[in-house]
Amino acid sequence: MLQCIFFLSDAGEVMLEKQMTGHHVDRSICSWFWDYVLSQGGDPSMILPVIASPTHYLFQVFRDGIVFLACTQVEMPPLMGIEFLCRVADVLTDYLGGLNEDVIKDNFVIVYELLDEMMDNGVPLTTEPNILREMLAPPNIVSKMLSVVTGKNSNVSTKLPDATASSIPWRKINTKHSSNEVYVNLVEEMDAIFNRDGILVKCEIYGEVQVNSHLPGLPDLTLSFSNPSILNDVRFHPCVRFRPWEADQILSFVPPDGEFRLMSYRVKKLKSTPIYVKPQLTSNAGHSRISVLVGIHNDPGKTIDSITVQFQLPLCVSSANFTPNHGTVNILADKTCRWSIGQVPKGKSPCLSGNLVLEADLEKLHVFPVFRVGFRIMGVASSGLQIHRLDVKNTPSEPYKGFRALTQSGEYEVRS
Amino acid sequence: MFHQFSATAESLSKASSLVLRIGTDAHLYDDPDDVSIGPLLESRFDSEKVDALKRLLALLAQGSDVSQFFPQVVKNVASQSLELKKLVYLYLLHYAEKRQNEALLSINCFQKDLSDTNPLVRAWALRTMAGIRLHAVAPLVLRAITKCARDPSAYVRKCAAYALPKLYDLHHDEDNSSFEELVDILLNDHSPGVVGAAAAAFKSVCPSSLFLIAKSFRRLCEILPDVEEWGQIVLIEILLRYIIARHGIVKESIMFSLSTMSTTPVADGFPTFSGTSGSCQTLVGTTCDVNMITLMCKSYIDGQIECFAQTGCSNSSDDKLDLSLTSSTNDDVVMLLRCTSPLLWSHNSAVVLAAAGVHWIMAPRENIERIIKPLLFILRSCQASKYVILCNLLVFAKAVPPFFSQYYEDFFVCSYDTYQIRALKLEILSIIATESSIPIILQEFQDYVKDPDRRFVADTVAAIGLCAQRLPMVASACLEGLLAITFYESSLSSSSQIDGEAGVLVQAIMSIKAIIKQNPDSYDRVIVQLACNLDRIKIPAARALVIWIIGEYSVIGQIIPKVVPSILNYLAWSFTSEEPDTKLQILNTAAKVLLCAQGADSLAFRKILSYFIELAKYDINYDNGRMHHEPGGKILNGKMHSSISSTKSSRIYLPGSLSQIVLHAASGYEPLPKPCSLLNTDLTAGVVNETNDSDISSGSSIEESGSVYDSDHSSISSDDGNESVNDSNDTESTALAVRNDVQDVREKTLVDVSNVNVCVDDSNENTKGNLSAFISTDLAELMPKLALESWLDEEPGVSSIQTSQQASSGRISINNLNCTVTPKLHSLLDPTTNNGLRVEYAFSYEISTISSMLVLVEIFFENCSSEPIKNIALKDGESSSSVESSDQVLGESESLLRTANVPPVLSTEEIASLDPGQRVKKLIEIRFPHHLLPLKLVVTCNGKKFSTKLWPDIGYFLKPLSMNTSAFIDHERQLPGMFEYSKRCTFKDHIEKIAPVKDDSSIHSDKIILLSQILTSKVLSNCNVSLVCADIPVSFNIDDASGLCLRFSGELLSNSKPCLISILVEGKFSEPFVLTVKINCEETVFGLNLLNRVAAFLQ
Repeated sequence: MLQCIFFLSDAGEVMLEKQMTGHHVDRSICSWFWDYVLSQGGDPSMILPVIASPTHYLFQVFRDGIVFLACTQVEMPPLMGIEFLCRVADVLTDYLGGLNEDVIKDNFVIVYELLDEMMDNGVPLTTEPNILREMLAPPNIVSKMLSVVTGKNSNVSTKLPDATASSIPWRKINTKHSSNEVYVNLVEEMDAIFNRDGILVKCEIYGEVQVNSHLPGLPDLTLSFSNPSILNDVRFHPCVRFRPWEADQILSFVPPDGEFRLMSYRVKKLKSTPIYVKPQLTSNAGHSRISVLVGIHNDPGKTIDSITVQFQLPLCVSSANFTPNHGTVNILADKTCRWSIGQVPKGKSPCLSGNLVLEADLEKLHVFPVFRVGFRIMGVASSGLQIHRLDVKNTPSEPYKGFRALTQSGEYEVRS
Repeated sequence: MFHQFSATAESLSKASSLVLRIGTDAHLYDDPDDVSIGPLLESRFDSEKVDALKRLLALLAQGSDVSQFFPQVVKNVASQSLELKKLVYLYLLHYAEKRQNEALLSINCFQKDLSDTNPLVRAWALRTMAGIRLHAVAPLVLRAITKCARDPSAYVRKCAAYALPKLYDLHHDEDNSSFEELVDILLNDHSPGVVGAAAAAFKSVCPSSLFLIAKSFRRLCEILPDVEEWGQIVLIEILLRYIIARHGIVKESIMFSLSTMSTTPVADGFPTFSGTSGSCQTLVGTTCDVNMITLMCKSYIDGQIECFAQTGCSNSSDDKLDLSLTSSTNDDVVMLLRCTSPLLWSHNSAVVLAAAGVHWIMAPRENIERIIKPLLFILRSCQASKYVILCNLLVFAKAVPPFFSQYYEDFFVCSYDTYQIRALKLEILSIIATESSIPIILQEFQDYVKDPDRRFVADTVAAIGLCAQRLPMVASACLEGLLAITFYESSLSSSSQIDGEAGVLVQAIMSIKAIIKQNPDSYDRVIVQLACNLDRIKIPAARALVIWIIGEYSVIGQIIPKVVPSILNYLAWSFTSEEPDTKLQILNTAAKVLLCAQGADSLAFRKILSYFIELAKYDINYDNGRMHHEPGGKILNGKMHSSISSTKSSRIYLPGSLSQIVLHAASGYEPLPKPCSLLNTDLTAGVVNETNDSDISSGSSIEESGSVYDSDHSSISSDDGNESVNDSNDTESTALAVRNDVQDVREKTLVDVSNVNVCVDDSNENTKGNLSAFISTDLAELMPKLALESWLDEEPGVSSIQTSQQASSGRISINNLNCTVTPKLHSLLDPTTNNGLRVEYAFSYEISTISSMLVLVEIFFENCSSEPIKNIALKDGESSSSVESSDQVLGESESLLRTANVPPVLSTEEIASLDPGQRVKKLIEIRFPHHLLPLKLVVTCNGKKFSTKLWPDIGYFLKPLSMNTSAFIDHERQLPGMFEYSKRCTFKDHIEKIAPVKDDSSIHSDKIILLSQILTSKVLSNCNVSLVCADIPVSFNIDDASGLCLRFSGELLSNSKPCLISILVEGKFSEPFVLTVKINCEETVFGLNLLNRVAAFLQ
């Protein structure tokens, strides 16, 4: 039972408080929390998600510069609190088209209304985005203009969404669409670890099947894969029926309207990665050199773009200069270096070289940074997962069906 | 050009953000009170009212108190505009409790709205009406909920379910049955959404009325997958509790494996699982950590001791065995497992963990593995969930490491992990490593050693040590790696002191020490290598460790005895420049060497030792100076023993619970019910009977558990205090200053031993090291440390007491107040529930002469029936009868579970017969398991057993300690800072009690003495302490009692530590006083609990 939710900015300012139960929580808990954050180094993303304060247990989730802080005094599943806060963040991002301090403040009324719908007496009430959208219209250009012109604007629906009564609470009953289409996206993130010897220690894909459905009526969809056996783990949207999956590994579902994550999956023990990054650090007598080589490894057949290499210089490095033969390098205040490469040019492999100056009394480096690699490949699902077919039943006419795939880097790192 | 572009981009983004802000409520948040809000609320136009309310909301969001607008806002509740209504409700809910009278004005509107045709309006009205917390309207709310529970709209019914806990929280003294009835109706609803909400209501309203579940169990299981995710979490837990209470533990489950384990002698607790196949037949037997599982069962289940005592004793008691056990073929069990298994695919991680918890506890061992993958998959969701899941996985992995051994890759640390996550992963890795996976894991550890986060590196080094201890085959490889780290680190730290570097070095040597300890004979070369590099190791704590190792193993092998003399010579040289800790160890080592020395050497050693002792005599440091008095060789103190098992790791709570994460029982935490405590009679009766009743009173009241929370909280902090002593590496290494360069002056070869050249080449060093057993302690300490800090940060109102004491200068001190002390009688057994025996108890002021662990309790037996009652006896509820029959196989686990040798109840002889109306007093001595936890007792009379609970009163864990005021103040000064806690509370009792005095000729001092008497008798009636003095301020204001200070003193029964209570009064007689209660006590946990208790009874 969550007693109260606070939104804090990344500077510790309390932007919003919403008391959930009759037992009000004083906002002094926030200053306690912020003191705690400062005592732990001041970075809200690095502190424990569950904290026992003198008066309350705190759950905190840090997203896009906003700390979502929830308090409770009694035993409850901590994951329930955390998951709820994540859901709040998701819904707000969806509603407000992004998440930052200003956007929360600018739309505080709708945030309050949303929180009130999402939780009652400290227990989640309605968290299904589709239903929320029906109860509270998200702010959009039209309503904003209307409010400017006419001076009035109500985003509160006067009617209870029918779906709250149906057995499929994620879908409106009478969806009417001019369009009749459904898109299925495979979005995969590649996690990989290369150890200091350059050997691939672990490589796996975390993927999501994202569906964007604009279908009228009450459509019934079945999606099957040609090679479901490669899936290691799966998690489903509540709309997926368990039986067909258990029996035949077929996804059978009545989709919510709009965009949603149908399924997430993991494919483990991949053998190769599309690009290689070879960092090399040499260090001798107070003088250290760094060089990073990037190249395409196993050509996936599509262009790899948005390649970045990011690493944090060790604290003992006092200054550094880098010269890339391609792309740009930025060094941020916290000694984070970001090398943006973009695409690998033809006939030349990107290389970054540089000199590091160590602290005065150090002879050589004894700690080595980890290089985080970012990239994106459109049109490829690196896990090799293939959609076999998508059948749509119960629609007046055959809808348009679209399929896409995308691979991007997840926790992809190369140790040096 | 670049600049230009960025400038344009900036202005563009500014412009676009401006555009975005148009039409939002931005201006309202920025300047909520730029117009006068009052008139807007009175406006005729809804839009202006909406605007005003939005401004109020903005102010509320920013933390201002805008309750002064309450009357104006409340009027708008009748508005037809839904948006306005919503905003008004938001405001009302926030302030209604503060403005009770005005809030009453809104009730009529709610009543009207409840009959509205729009279900949304009905739902909102119900939600708000139940949420505004007015005692006066509680009956109306109950009627409204009853009505809405049968509403045609599922959404309204759902809101009715949500409203139940609100009402219960506000007002639950009355008979619980109306609540139960409503929960029952809602649980049987056909809409899954309502069932989920009803489950939540069940949990907070009547969590122990499991008989409500009985009739609809199968339906609830079937509906479970359709219930919305949040409801699933709660419902799963309820169903699990029901199964345990109804059918008991599953025979084939991990929970029960204990009994099969304990009958087969287990050689070592550690698994020797081959790791490749992962098949489950091999799991039976030695592969699990028996102690861990025993502990786990003990923690999960309430009153399990009895149950296992029964089940453990072979086949002779088959009937009993069947009672608390069920098999995995039980229909209900199968049903629950089947319906929860698809939930392992839920996209809500809390649901996955809840479902996994059910399988962990109920599923047959060979089917448990199915939960592993879904749990590991959650590791790929957000950081916060990752941490929680890892905390739970750690417990699972400790219990049955083989389940995880093939998934070691999932625990590899990546740069995105926070420090806490890394630490948990390391601990899990060191637990699940097997002979086949250890090479890969060590390879991985090698990489970690170069990580920039040196704290993490130190943990890694500790993990290497743990692996080497667990898997002896890699011990030598680990040692080599650790040595390499040691030498490399020591070469580093000579050039500069880098943050955390010292920690790594110390940890490396500790791990080496732990490995050597396992088999000292084979590692003599390692010791020599360490010794030879002693002059390069500059960090005092590390030096101290090495010197200890030399002393401890000075006679092992061939080489060491030869090297020892030169080392001692070297140490003699460096002694004066060493840090105190190192000096201690030098003394220690010299003494040990001398004790073991023979022949000619001993003379030389004696000389060196006496040289050290001479030096130590003149040491500035008192401890060292004193140390030489102690007889040789026994100087070693406990600090150097690193392998003290962590007490934290032994705290286990139900999987997925908050308590498991914070490692103390959060308030409201309940272990699983006792197996088979739900009897068939309960099911048919459908009425809460006596046993359930007592459970309810113990578990669900929020007020009561609030204090339990505080106490549990503090118990951690004190434990932590103990442990930080063991945690020598951190404290030592950081506390010690940078060493000077004295040593560098004599850079000469000390010891000439061949082949001890260790190459310190970092690039190809083969890091297979081990550094110590510390990781578990480190990890487990994370949380409690916070708790301790939080207590310290809390700024107890100490200063307020002191300042206000100084404020009034003149004061009279009285130490003899005549006041009546009336110990409270508590009921133990109600005559209505049995055949007329009333048992009451009161805590006695006498002190037990047998043991300081015992508390004396006066028990009063009274026969309220018309017939004599025979054979009345009182026994400890846990150990009754069954324990005696438990055979010796269980002896071991039994002793594990028992905390002390003193039996819980030193009972009196039984009362043969009690005539009607007769009342008998008996004195019994009780050892409470904890000063907050109740003791289960069984009263037998006329051959029947009645179980009950005796709640301890913390005030009687004290005995009076008489002292005068100055002694009191002295003691108070000796217990400052963290031993001092205070709390404020209000006191109203005097208003009616003193009122009549006022009518007479009320003299100021009389009134204040009367007040002192009231307070004193309150304290003395609830605590066994003595009054030291009452300081009465002399002030001109007759009505003012500010400055009155009462002091009480007592000492703890268990360890005779003084415990001081001061109560400072502020305020006037006509109003409630503000009391500041302050307690000074060395026992932090006890003190804090006592503080809560005192504040509670004064209030």
